[in-house]
Amino acid sequence: MFSSSQFEPNSAFSGGGFMSSQPYDSSSSSSSTTKGLVPVTVKQINESSHSGGEKSGIVINGIELTNVSLVGLVCDKDISKVTEVRFALDDGTGRIDCKRWVNESFDAREMESVQDGTYVRLNGHLKTFQGNKQLLVFSVRPIVDFNEVTFHYIECIHFYSKNSDSQVLENVGDVTQSHTVNTNQATTLNPVMPSQNSDGNGRKNLDDMILDYLKQPACTARQQGIHLDEIAQQLKVPKNKLEGVIQSLEGDGLIYSTIDEYHFKHVEL
Amino acid sequence: MDTSSPSAFVNGSLMRRYIGQKVRTVIQVVGSDVGSVVGKSTDDLQIIVKGSPPTTTTPSTYLEVIGIAENENSIRAEVWTNFGNSFDPVNYNELCKLANGEFKHLFI
Repeated sequence: MFSSSQFEPNSAFSGGGFMSSQPYDSSSSSSSTTKGLVPVTVKQINESSHSGGEKSGIVINGIELTNVSLVGLVCDKDISKVTEVRFALDDGTGRIDCKRWVNESFDAREMESVQDGTYVRLNGHLKTFQGNKQLLVFSVRPIVDFNEVTFHYIECIHFYSKNSDSQVLENVGDVTQSHTVNTNQATTLNPVMPSQNSDGNGRKNLDDMILDYLKQPACTARQQGIHLDEIAQQLKVPKNKLEGVIQSLEGDGLIYSTIDEYHFKHVEL
Repeated sequence: MDTSSPSAFVNGSLMRRYIGQKVRTVIQVVGSDVGSVVGKSTDDLQIIVKGSPPTTTTPSTYLEVIGIAENENSIRAEVWTNFGNSFDPVNYNELCKLANGEFKHLFI
């Protein structure tokens, strides 16, 4: 009854259209767009970044959003224009400007019941207008059972944390060994999810980390190569996790063993 | 109504972290006086809210109060919302803990 995603029942539970259990072979730009209605707080909107490229989409948690659902208090309701009602929504985490086009009597009736100080559930499109984030609202409903307020914030937390988990798995490379290592890496080295997700590419998989380490001039200068123990120590990864990845890197011709089977150097092209 | 600055979700025990700052909480009305309302927070601590409540504050009604925390058990209210009688304080209490803990960055 309170679910904001009643028209799209999958989106609230599957993290906006994609599930972490699905195999990933599509490009990251298409898999990170959601078409569902996402519950967010105003703070999340204000902190979101623009996605680069052709669309003026807004990115929250690494997902490009257009439709969002919010719950909050209406303030500064302005009905000076006939076809448009403007107001601000304050949900305790910030304020956002909202606009509602009133073209039919249904819309007008809906907006009449909404006054300053009313708690409402809003569904709308997120847009950026002259540098400010704005909500083009297509649905406003006053809240009658206030458990919906608690529910909305919990849903925001749920969506966010569900999304953070799927973000971890999204950056998996093709090598299955590095798949399991990757999630380990994400938890041991990158405990804070939000900044990772907003960068979009902040997390490297283990292959890249080893290669980056071996590519450093200090390492390439060493004739006998770098011992496996040293790599483990520098990257703070247990040796057993490294062994499989090292083997595959060797098989791919990206690194080679030098004086013995435990010393490696990066193949310089 | 000036709620332009963000308000932290608090229960009785979390209020001490935000003394002097804007907070929001839900209390169950226990009694009212001239100029103040005595209520029970969602974690069963007594909270005193100063200000003039909306007219229907019968005991056992839930009221959401947004205002400045004056000390660890009193708020100077700016906005009151009647949350009715069928509000679930346990859920709200858990939300307060989450909003001040692991997911604080989504709120404040």
